[in-house]
Amino acid sequence: MSKSYQAIVIGAGPAGSSAALAMASAGLDVALVERGSFPGEKNMFGGVLHRMPALEEYFPDFWDRAPLERHIIKKGVTFMTGDSSFNTTIEAGSFDKPPYNGYTIFRPRFDKWLADEAVKAGATLITRATVEELVKTDGRITGVTIQGRSGQISAPIVIAADGVLSFTAKKAGLRQPTFDPGQVAVGVKALIDMPREMIDERFGLVRDQGFANEFVGCTDGVRGGGFLYTNYDSISVGLVFHLASLRTSGKTPYDLLNAFLEQPQMAKMVCGGRLQEYSAHLIPEGGFDMIPELVGDGIMVAGDAAAFCNATGLNLEGINLASQSGVIAGKAAVAAHAARDFSKRGLSVYKKMLDESYVIKDLKLFRKAPHMLHNNRIYREYPEMMCDFMENIYKIEGAPKNNVSRVFLQSATKKVGLGKLLADGFSAWRSL
Amino acid sequence: MNIDEIFDFTSFTIDREPHIILDATKCVACDNRGCVNSCPARCYSWSEEDKKMTFVYDGCLECGTCYVVCLRDAFTRWRYPRGGCGVAYRMT
Repeated sequence: MSKSYQAIVIGAGPAGSSAALAMASAGLDVALVERGSFPGEKNMFGGVLHRMPALEEYFPDFWDRAPLERHIIKKGVTFMTGDSSFNTTIEAGSFDKPPYNGYTIFRPRFDKWLADEAVKAGATLITRATVEELVKTDGRITGVTIQGRSGQISAPIVIAADGVLSFTAKKAGLRQPTFDPGQVAVGVKALIDMPREMIDERFGLVRDQGFANEFVGCTDGVRGGGFLYTNYDSISVGLVFHLASLRTSGKTPYDLLNAFLEQPQMAKMVCGGRLQEYSAHLIPEGGFDMIPELVGDGIMVAGDAAAFCNATGLNLEGINLASQSGVIAGKAAVAAHAARDFSKRGLSVYKKMLDESYVIKDLKLFRKAPHMLHNNRIYREYPEMMCDFMENIYKIEGAPKNNVSRVFLQSATKKVGLGKLLADGFSAWRSL
Repeated sequence: MNIDEIFDFTSFTIDREPHIILDATKCVACDNRGCVNSCPARCYSWSEEDKKMTFVYDGCLECGTCYVVCLRDAFTRWRYPRGGCGVAYRMT
């Protein structure tokens, strides 16, 4: 099997399918190569789909067409210890009015839909195809070979949208041959079936309203956090760990996930549900400093493969950045075809357009956030301090009370230490 | 959730050809073996008695954790499974 196209996209995730959509819509003959038996089969995330400006450009009715679950009207953060939790929740009227700020989705469904849209625009989807090698001609990338298949697929442009490990970017010499475990996190997730009415009642939701909650302090001191999202008839509950911290902790992701699900307050939220699926995935959390070379002769890198993920601790963004970078790469490919220049220089318009987009601007803005998040105190001492403080505020025992600032100082001194509190506050302020 | 029962709740199409090949002799001298505890699918187990690392790829979720945490460059091969093989998520 040997075929030629005007461009090859490796990976039919949000970045790849967006790139294929942009190119096919502009009339290019595109191959979208996916290793799963359908797009989305290998994909999971623990997140919310936020506004997708890149796709809204192609479908003004994107939000009516895409297969979505609930729209998020309520967002919470929980500071958790082994037996207590302190929650803050924001539920805003504006979150319940279109255009909605975010949705829960199922990746196997959403990614398949997006790839199908690229196919409708004219792209050729090749599934069950794991890319094996890059084909080079005169030092320029001109195609790929597929594991277990003979022949090659040729094109003057290859877009590497093959995910966080991007072996394509590695083979093209665009990323470092090894990863820094301090820049990578692993997420594990339990998909828990639950009747729709139970979800509505338990989380205070009506119609298609959804709830998204993040947790800190639920990882037994390992750097990371937890999440809970409501789908229509299920909830997604999971944990994320920084690999540098997990590696040396001796703790396992599944034991920590079980302990999280059994934490008394958490147990009440998941009670009555039934485990449906367990999944895991890596997340590029190094931010701006993790971005590889984005362009080479005949190649561009997009999405997770380019480490386009913003994990600031408050918001987690990835799919929107992936899709935006995919569309920009697609447009750069169209421009390169018009100029008939597929060299690194010809494709460098990709980098230029990215620099002007929110993708690079946001990653630059939060450049320091990954370092701030490497502070171990965030994951045990601070949640303990918050819970201890709130517990003492509400404790009425018939003994003389202290004023609030005194109670706070007591909790802060006991759990964290005042000097560290000030230093951490300063560094958090600077990075966010 | 019991990780021993991973095949009951996550689907796999297992290829005969392993997509990861570990040179377990390199694990003997490793003083970290972060793969054992970090792998979300418990594919690695270390026997202190036999001083031996055992790796099974059947329940591999293809996440790449072992690839990132390995300090010994112990993989003779680390690639994704052949097209259509490996883990298949349905609704995550």
